[in-house]
Amino acid sequence: MAEEDILSDELLRQLISVGEVDILVGLHTYNDAKTIGHVVQVIREGLLRYFPRERAAILNADGGSADNTPELVQAASISDARQASTLHTLRTLHCISSRYAGHPSAGKAMHTIVAAADLLRAKACAVIAPRSSEIVPEWMDRLLRPIYRDHFDYVTPVYQRHHFEGILVTNLMYPMVRAAYGIPICEPRPGEFGFSDRLAGHLLGEDVWSQDVGRSGPEVIITMSALAGGYRMYQSFLGPKGHVEQQSSDLVHALRQTVAPLFWSLAKDYASWSAVREAQAVPTLGPNFLVTMDSARLDRKRLHHMFCSGVVDLEPVLKSILTPPTLAALQRIAATDEHRFDYSDELWVKAVYEFAASYHKSVISRDHIIQALAPLYRGRVYAFLEQNLNASEQELEHNLEVLCQTFERLKPYLLERWAGQEGSS
Amino acid sequence: MPSTAPDLWYKDAIIYQIHVRAMHDSNGDGIGDFRGLTEKLDYLQELGINTIWLMPFFPSPLRDDGYDISDYTSVHPNYGTLDDFKGFLDAAHHRGIRVIIELVLNHTSDQHPWFQESRSSVDNPRRNWYVWSDTDTRYRQARIIFLDTENSNWAWDPVSKAYYWHRFFSHQPDLNYDNSAVREEMWNVMKFWLDLGVDGFRLDAVPYLVEREETSCENLPETHSVIKELRRRLDEYFPGKMLLAEANQWPADLRAYFADGDEFHMAFHFPLMPRMYMGLKLEDRKPITEILQQTPKIPDPCQWCLFLRNHDELTLEMVTDMERDYMYDEYARDKPMRLNLGIRRRLAPLLDNDRRRIELMNGMLFSLPGTPVIYYGDEIGMGDNIYLGDRNGVRTPMQWDGGWNAGFSSADPETLYAALILNPVYGYQVVNVKSQRRLPHSLLSWMRRVIAVRRSTQVFSRGSIEFLYPANHRVLAYVRKFGNETVLVVNNLSDSAQAVEVDLSQYKGNILVEMFSRNIFPRVGSLPYLMTLGPYQFFWFRLRRI
Amino acid sequence: MQGMIVHELRQVWDEFIRAFAHLLPRLLVILIIAAVGWLVAYLLKILVRNFLRLVKFDRLSERAGAAQLLDTAALPSATELLSQLVFWLAWLVFVLVGINALGTAGVQEHISAFLRFLPRVLVALAILFFGILAANFFSRAALLAAVNSNSPSPQLLSDATRVIIIVLAISMAFEELGLAQKTVLIAFSIVFGALMLGLAIAFGLGGRDLARRFLEKRFSERTPRKAKEDELSPL
Repeated sequence: MAEEDILSDELLRQLISVGEVDILVGLHTYNDAKTIGHVVQVIREGLLRYFPRERAAILNADGGSADNTPELVQAASISDARQASTLHTLRTLHCISSRYAGHPSAGKAMHTIVAAADLLRAKACAVIAPRSSEIVPEWMDRLLRPIYRDHFDYVTPVYQRHHFEGILVTNLMYPMVRAAYGIPICEPRPGEFGFSDRLAGHLLGEDVWSQDVGRSGPEVIITMSALAGGYRMYQSFLGPKGHVEQQSSDLVHALRQTVAPLFWSLAKDYASWSAVREAQAVPTLGPNFLVTMDSARLDRKRLHHMFCSGVVDLEPVLKSILTPPTLAALQRIAATDEHRFDYSDELWVKAVYEFAASYHKSVISRDHIIQALAPLYRGRVYAFLEQNLNASEQELEHNLEVLCQTFERLKPYLLERWAGQEGSS
Repeated sequence: MPSTAPDLWYKDAIIYQIHVRAMHDSNGDGIGDFRGLTEKLDYLQELGINTIWLMPFFPSPLRDDGYDISDYTSVHPNYGTLDDFKGFLDAAHHRGIRVIIELVLNHTSDQHPWFQESRSSVDNPRRNWYVWSDTDTRYRQARIIFLDTENSNWAWDPVSKAYYWHRFFSHQPDLNYDNSAVREEMWNVMKFWLDLGVDGFRLDAVPYLVEREETSCENLPETHSVIKELRRRLDEYFPGKMLLAEANQWPADLRAYFADGDEFHMAFHFPLMPRMYMGLKLEDRKPITEILQQTPKIPDPCQWCLFLRNHDELTLEMVTDMERDYMYDEYARDKPMRLNLGIRRRLAPLLDNDRRRIELMNGMLFSLPGTPVIYYGDEIGMGDNIYLGDRNGVRTPMQWDGGWNAGFSSADPETLYAALILNPVYGYQVVNVKSQRRLPHSLLSWMRRVIAVRRSTQVFSRGSIEFLYPANHRVLAYVRKFGNETVLVVNNLSDSAQAVEVDLSQYKGNILVEMFSRNIFPRVGSLPYLMTLGPYQFFWFRLRRI
Repeated sequence: MQGMIVHELRQVWDEFIRAFAHLLPRLLVILIIAAVGWLVAYLLKILVRNFLRLVKFDRLSERAGAAQLLDTAALPSATELLSQLVFWLAWLVFVLVGINALGTAGVQEHISAFLRFLPRVLVALAILFFGILAANFFSRAALLAAVNSNSPSPQLLSDATRVIIIVLAISMAFEELGLAQKTVLIAFSIVFGALMLGLAIAFGLGGRDLARRFLEKRFSERTPRKAKEDELSPL
């Protein structure tokens, strides 16, 4: 475990000064000076309001910002050495910032935060995305109290979403995780989350941080690890999801951050999820799955076109991944015109499952498998939009629930494909 | 022993606070007295203290443990006679120990002849010696101090059919300092004791001397005038005597009591004391450094008086609500421990009888800038009895040995003025002077050593203080300087071992000499000085350049 | 006269027998060496095969796409192929050593030359093999990238990538073998250059309008399109 590489000497010195804490809040930043000042102030306010007696610290794992992000974080510290403070608080609050080695990567930042949380023996740790401009002090309570006071291990957020946002989550990530583990996690790739010291110790022992999936999709890895390890899960409502990270509008990048770690984790933890038969509920604070119905401009034609041309052009690749019946079905759909587009739930689920199984077996380069999923996903988005463009909130939720049940119903199919000899012809 | 200029002796004082009735009983009536106290002066000399502060021993109905005085110029028969007092005073001086006594300026007992006269009729010459009113609506803005027992600062006197003003218990009517006769008489009282040879006075409840409408009736300029006048006369007729203020106020308000060096010589630093306890529980030096940062500079001849505990409750008046709640939750979980916005526990029980914490707190007491006060019994770690009503739980008989009545008195145990502490942890069989004297590593022996180190230099009593702010907030570090001497003090406020890097760059090249053992520690180099401290450990280092 | 012919025949026969007798032991030795060599080669083949099975070499070759290639060429699996190769190589070496033992001067020279040449053959084969693998991988990567970025004619791009890499690999293999180096180099440069030139001309001259319209379409539509699709984040 190359932990010594993750914690630089300088960070270690700072951690020694901080000593044991009850609560740690981690921020992974790279050139976030625009928003980080506000975010850190709100975090501080939240800590002072909800945990005034607890020993707390804010840790910033920075990828080498050139815009003074670390200084903005450190400015929020409460210390007797900075006599200008007008805040009345019981305790010192350390706000430390450290640059990790190498290129900026969410995985390295997360690894630093988890390692620091473990060393500082923090009972509860929260990670906040640096661009969360809609953060309010209550988030500290919502993310940390279930862990600190109620002894849960992992808290994921529930956001109020636009009904066509996050289709990758609602149509793939959420139902697949729910089908695999029987646990409905609304946000398997949370921007903000909280974890306990037990989970931190477990995560450090996992050999995932040096892998590519660990670098690009640590959030999903952490969620899947928590599920596989049987840790106590909790969900807290945080409000509207406003910010969209720049790069996630690039679909392939998004797939690498979400689907790749998902498949990787399923491959790794087969024993944990394959035997799960029953669904469990997750304790949730606040509403579950809020959806708002604002309108948005959508280019559905392009989606359809990219699906069709993708299925045709990628045939040699898809042949290695999908079963002949599934591929044939997709090709049939691609050949029909858009008004008779019949991309059923079942077909989508089977396709996803076959992809997962092929990923597990590495029939071709795993990254290529992930990339090959993009056109199929676009087709799915198109179908989903067609189905729900004029649907009400209840209808939309109903359709999503039906999809989830399809995922669950076809779980034996996934297991069969998983165990089968060849995923290809 | 460094020489002390007579007029600043109080800076180098180590004060021991004594309740006469609690120390030693010579005549077997179950109550301590002056003759008994005189017999114990050797012990005090051995301990190393050089000043005794006597709590009120004047005639009194004893409804407030002697702070309700009914005769200012005599000694309560329980404690002996005026001659006994003189004998004690001489014996103390003979051993190089000074004596300061209490003077309750603000109020008397309602049994005092002055009040009896004052209330008898409106025309009585002493009528205006107290503050009378037909209504109880005057001075509305003044707060109530004894919240647990009083609900008004006015009391109705059925004899005189009028209200009289009392900031404390209702049986302690306030004297009227707007009356020059009162002021003159109080000076006469002071003169009486000064003529006998006492070395100074602790003036009780000074902020409340004068009242004015539309004010809090605390710290008023008129009050300061009264003090100034007393001080002027003191300096003129009795130079070298000291006035110590008991004023439970924020540091900025306390500053006024030093004025330009023409009011009090010393004042208790009340706000610091609870913050030391808070810092210990929080394992964070912030409360301590912040209050000292806010403490104003005082004139050179003046000195703060520091203490860990005293006869009163550990007062939480000068802290915020959040801090008070924290202190209650951490130090006084049981409601009976709480009294009047404070905690009525002794030092050892407050610190869970943890020897290391007791040593650390005393270490800070003796190394922070100010004259330290030791409350009787805390040098052996005596316990308390919170069920003894009011603040009597911290005023139990001194435990001299494990035998009859702890060596306090030959009387029957049932006749003692207060019950001895009996429990298996703090009981007198376990905690007593005799057994601790025999052991070189007892708390008593340690106290003697730390007092000796403190007295070996004037750096602590007269030096400046500069705080260092190492990144590790659990470590309180500061440098004391006086003349050529520089001392580094490092305290670990936490329950666990700590590593700390202290920036000693301006002392580069100095060798550190630990003051208790005189062992040498590495020289200061260009890198920050790395220290490791065990739980609650502290170091005093003398910095020497050789 | 009859006697003379018989005598001559007999002499020739004797010479032949003598030569044969001279040769026979050596032949025997060769056969023995060959037989031993066969055994050793067989053992080696078993060893290699088990080793490759242990490290799951087949899976590796599947991932790299070699398995499909072999399949199409009706060849056995990679493990099998490699083990066979080892077998034949080992046996060949033994046989050659045996022939060498015959002591025929010319043959010895040829054999040494052949043995010196053998490693280069192996290297060339390896270059070709890896070249094919790389071609597969990169052509697939190009295909996926082109499809996902909605580029026109992704198939063309993919095939072009494959062809270029294979041509490169073949050229390198030939160079390694030392065959027609200059010819290959020139041919490669011509082909490659022509390809590039052709593409340039096609866009620059022949498909000028098309190119312009294409570029216009791409650049002017791209920006608002991108905004529209990106309004909805998949996450």
